[in-house]
Amino acid sequence: MNKLVNLHEAIATIPDGAVVGLGGNTLNRAPMAAVFEMVRQKKKSLALVKTAGAMDIDILCLAGCVKSVDAGFISYESEYSLARHYRASVQKGLVKANEHACYTVISALRAASYGIPFMPVRGLVTSDLIDVNPYFKRITDPFTGDPVTLVSAIRPDYAILHVHKADIQGNALILGPKYEDVLFSRAAKKVILTAEEIVDEGFFRCSETKADIPGFLVESVVHVPHGAAPCACHGVYGLNHESIRKFLTIKNDSELPLYLEVCHV
Amino acid sequence: MFRVCDIMVCAMARLIKNGDTVFHGVSSHMPMIATLLAKATHAPDAVHLNIPGGVDPKSPKLVSFTSAGSELFETAPAVFPLMDVFDLSMRGGLDVAFLSGVQFDNAGTVNASVIGDYYSPKVRLPGGAGSAVLIPTAKRAVIWRTKHDRRTFVQNVDFMTARGNVSFVVTPLCIFAMYEGELILDSIHPTSTIEEVAQNTGFPIRYFELKSTPAPTDEELRLLQMIDPQDLRNIEFR
Repeated sequence: MNKLVNLHEAIATIPDGAVVGLGGNTLNRAPMAAVFEMVRQKKKSLALVKTAGAMDIDILCLAGCVKSVDAGFISYESEYSLARHYRASVQKGLVKANEHACYTVISALRAASYGIPFMPVRGLVTSDLIDVNPYFKRITDPFTGDPVTLVSAIRPDYAILHVHKADIQGNALILGPKYEDVLFSRAAKKVILTAEEIVDEGFFRCSETKADIPGFLVESVVHVPHGAAPCACHGVYGLNHESIRKFLTIKNDSELPLYLEVCHV
Repeated sequence: MFRVCDIMVCAMARLIKNGDTVFHGVSSHMPMIATLLAKATHAPDAVHLNIPGGVDPKSPKLVSFTSAGSELFETAPAVFPLMDVFDLSMRGGLDVAFLSGVQFDNAGTVNASVIGDYYSPKVRLPGGAGSAVLIPTAKRAVIWRTKHDRRTFVQNVDFMTARGNVSFVVTPLCIFAMYEGELILDSIHPTSTIEEVAQNTGFPIRYFELKSTPAPTDEELRLLQMIDPQDLRNIEFR
């Protein structure tokens, strides 16, 4: 089945209020073209899921697209410091920060991919996070009688992943670090891929390297060269520092259309 | 005179023992460089684990914007990504985890979540990343923080992101070590004094003896220059 569509069509299927998992990690291979399209389409009340996010979460918060963020860490790394728009949105009460340990996001996604309602997490024993968040619960292990902490499953409505190669059926390969992307593809109800390159249908059949994500899990494929930019994409391009710096000078959402137009058509 | 970043990175490197499995995460240039330094000196068999999953990357070309990117993957012989590292720690196989935070008390409680109330915070912090599950499970959790003042080392933290099992805290002024559930002063950097440490710490300073943190050696400084020619170990002080 040919799942190739354009970016507008793919993103238009995501309803307001959807639970959306984003691939990549901080400024590495985040699906930025898809994120920018969500900003353009003025999505509302998205519940974002990621282990460690940066500009993707930040710009969606600035654009008013977000209701909540389930994540272990939201910040740029050392050089570019804090995610100011995320932080301001949470402090103004516009966005709910559902703090996880990164591992509890992974555990919650694993639970979804296993088709079970929750997952025990060994390490989470002494933390205020357990008491203030309804998605954590302390119970007694029915086998040993010891205390154990559970995290509720997170089943994203959509996972949006930027991959290196995909065919039109959605078979997809990620080169370099895969982060949580493959897990997201199993945990989510629907998967939208943006791909640096669209390969022939015979590509994976003839290759020693098979796709990480099989096409039957995938809803739509979009050909977007530079689809992670201004973030880095392993082996293809590095970080576009100039674009990141320009974004970080933006003070409010009225400046967003110009940024998107100039930096990323 | 020695630079604080070099003193801190060398001190962190020396906390790694040969053969240790060692993990650092995002925003972690200093521990990343410390791990590479330890492997180049006294701990060649330490195992460098990281978020992108490159096990023991060789001479990685470090970049300024991440400590979790391709540079740690490209020259690695095996792949062991973040979720595998967490699983390893959960089953007792992670020796050292490097973590940070914004507030700390003298019981080794870490706050990386909020200043003020969790639901309506005065300041929303980035979050503890792996801290809440790694501090209780890694054999040794080492904290580094590039600020040392009374807002950082406090009597009571605003929020407990994680607690317990912190072995050492490396700051720009000194090193604290955990002793019977209490952070005690282990050594003072040659660039600081006991008075400066006491003035800038919100909990009482206790110690057995006043020691000086060993200064970086010429060999360590030479290797640091090779490992980190862009001086990213100083990035948090710029």
